[in-house]
Amino acid sequence: MVEGLGKRVVTEAYPWAPLEVPEGFRGKPVIDPEKCVGCGSCVNACPPNALTLSDDGRHRVVKLFLGRCIFCGRCEEVCPFNAIELTKEFELATSSTEDLVQEVRLVMAKCTVCGRPYATLREVRKVAESLPENLRGLAYVCPDCRGRISSYFVGFARR
Amino acid sequence: MRRASGSEVLGRVVETLKRLGAESVTVTQEGVVLSTVTKDRLRDFVRALIREYGESLRHSTCMGTDLRPVRGSFSVTHVLALDGLRLYLLVETEAFGNRPKVPSLTPLLPAANWAEREARDLLGIEFEGHPEPVKLILPDPWPEGVFPLRKDYPYNKKLYETPAQVRGVRGEPRFFSAKPSPPSESVREGCALIPVGPYHPALHEPEYYELYVEGERIVEARYRGFFVHRGMEKLAESRMTINQVPFLAERICGICGYTHACAYCQAVEAAARIEVPERALYIRSILLEIERLHSHILWFGVAFHMLGFDTGFMAMWRIREEVMRVAEALTGNRKTYGMNLVGGVRRDIDEGKASLVLRMLESVEGEFRRFCDSVLSMREVVERVKEVGVLTREDARRLGAVGPHARASGLGIDVRVDHPYAAYRFVDVNVAVRDSCDVLARILVRYDEVIESVRLIRELLKNMPKGELMAEYGDLPPLRVGLGATEAPRGEDIHLVITGRGNKLYRWRPRAPSYVNLATVPTMLEGERLANAPIIIASIDPCFSCTDHVVVVDLRTGVRRRMNLLRNALTRG
Ligand code: SF4
Ligand code: SF4
Repeated sequence: MVEGLGKRVVTEAYPWAPLEVPEGFRGKPVIDPEKCVGCGSCVNACPPNALTLSDDGRHRVVKLFLGRCIFCGRCEEVCPFNAIELTKEFELATSSTEDLVQEVRLVMAKCTVCGRPYATLREVRKVAESLPENLRGLAYVCPDCRGRISSYFVGFARR
Repeated sequence: MRRASGSEVLGRVVETLKRLGAESVTVTQEGVVLSTVTKDRLRDFVRALIREYGESLRHSTCMGTDLRPVRGSFSVTHVLALDGLRLYLLVETEAFGNRPKVPSLTPLLPAANWAEREARDLLGIEFEGHPEPVKLILPDPWPEGVFPLRKDYPYNKKLYETPAQVRGVRGEPRFFSAKPSPPSESVREGCALIPVGPYHPALHEPEYYELYVEGERIVEARYRGFFVHRGMEKLAESRMTINQVPFLAERICGICGYTHACAYCQAVEAAARIEVPERALYIRSILLEIERLHSHILWFGVAFHMLGFDTGFMAMWRIREEVMRVAEALTGNRKTYGMNLVGGVRRDIDEGKASLVLRMLESVEGEFRRFCDSVLSMREVVERVKEVGVLTREDARRLGAVGPHARASGLGIDVRVDHPYAAYRFVDVNVAVRDSCDVLARILVRYDEVIESVRLIRELLKNMPKGELMAEYGDLPPLRVGLGATEAPRGEDIHLVITGRGNKLYRWRPRAPSYVNLATVPTMLEGERLANAPIIIASIDPCFSCTDHVVVVDLRTGVRRRMNLLRNALTRG
């Protein structure tokens, strides 16, 4: 038994030397504020509600609170725009809660028919880009009004 | 260990259940048969089942459900395992009214004791004829008639709002009363009472033992637990969607969390009839064995520590460290967390990772063998654990022990073989059984299991087929029952679900293996020497729990002294 002892040390020199983590390590998630469109997919998937969404009429805020995060990486998995990613960062201890919060504020788009804010401007533009030119205007109309408009046209066509 | 054809056995069992008076019998999933029985017939039905299947019938757990919003009634579903026949029998009974009553099965199957009391606490279902109808889970001062798992109880409702309310009338802490339940009516004549537990800053699993000792001998032991009931079931049923729950499920345990994520996913997959791709099943099994490996090696460390052999403790944890690093490379963190979703797994094990695993196995197996072989050849160690903490085969069966604990008492049960899941359908598992029923047997069983895990991982890696990692599926069908069972490092882990609407669960009932194994501890402690208590308690593989500090009360003078049970045990032992 004595043979195995003292030969191999697994204790790391950390924190006096940096600690390597492997590829694919699930560390601190970071939202890229340039890419996020505020669609809320990550918010729906996040198990512990570390990600939340709030609207104040003019802005939509995607908020990440690391104090609740379990580093599962579901947000990264579901984000349609690769706007949120887990990093290798794990040194998150802090004496201030603010350090644990990331907020992305996005301007809301107003419906061109009823004037109600219904999605972020960035998301609406993305949708518009994906539509054929003659239908683009529809992207700037909220889902409710869009429904009314199309049923009007459908009703018109039946007549 | 292949047995008689499954469908033949199933047909015969279904016939038997009908003959014995089940109202309806349905095969809900592979290896699971659901029978419904009226409550007047329940006892007779189960008595007949016991007569029919005898020893091989094991009460696994039971689940109470508030079905009033959908059916206007409560239901109680008992899970009975027929391990030899590779079947789980679900026996469901309905009960009506605001204080529903069903007959208790505890007089027939003592292993039902805790599970029934849990349903009584959380749902207000009375079990008529229960020999011990007292609180199990809820704290003593919990108000009468408030049942947190009923559907009309909001999950975020606070029972007490102000600190003063929490503190209670006499300024005593409301949530812990040192009285065990049932209250110690009489302290036994001439005995000293030694409470072990309930809290220690280093513990994550508080438990409380009350040991009555006569000199060195423990004459009676009582157990009280559930100090950290976290309300996970309620949270999952009210706030989470099916693919969020795996991340909650794996947090049930800090050591073997992945097994819970698997059992949960299996339950939902069974309920929704989702076919998981084969490669995903292999990956699950590989990770489950990696989890067993690190869990068992950790336990060896703890056991050595309990025996006062700290060199062994450190050596084991050093060996385990390599497993943890591989786990980190495979899953993205040291714990084998975050790998499962309903329908499959989230990460692949590619060639590079597989070779990491193989290299780790090579060194861990060699080092573990070398070290443990030499320790187990030391007379001081063997004599210290031989014939200590005996749990007879009879008692193990009666109390429903599972896992290595049961296997060390001569019961050859193992979910991997008896109810094969994940990739255990494709590989043969050698079940380690010992029959000396003592702590030594528990050590030897786990030793064999470490070696077997290493062999299994190698075989699984070799046979793993190519393919998808995740099944595709649509919305969840509502109100379907599903059962998922895995062999956790500590024994059978059972998850029962009833699906709900909107991709949510209507009911989720996980039951961890320690739930049943802990109930066997008092039996093992009685008649033992006090100095053996720490290793006996540890031998079922809970955590360090409470073995550190005890309070000795001298009954005549009432003087309290604090001392360290562990140190005490070592100096005497
Ligand atoms: S991070 Fe991605 S998923 Fe989350 S709101 Fe932004 S765009 Fe949507
Ligand atoms: S990593 Fe998991 S817990 Fe953290 S923000 Fe993303 S989804 Fe939420």
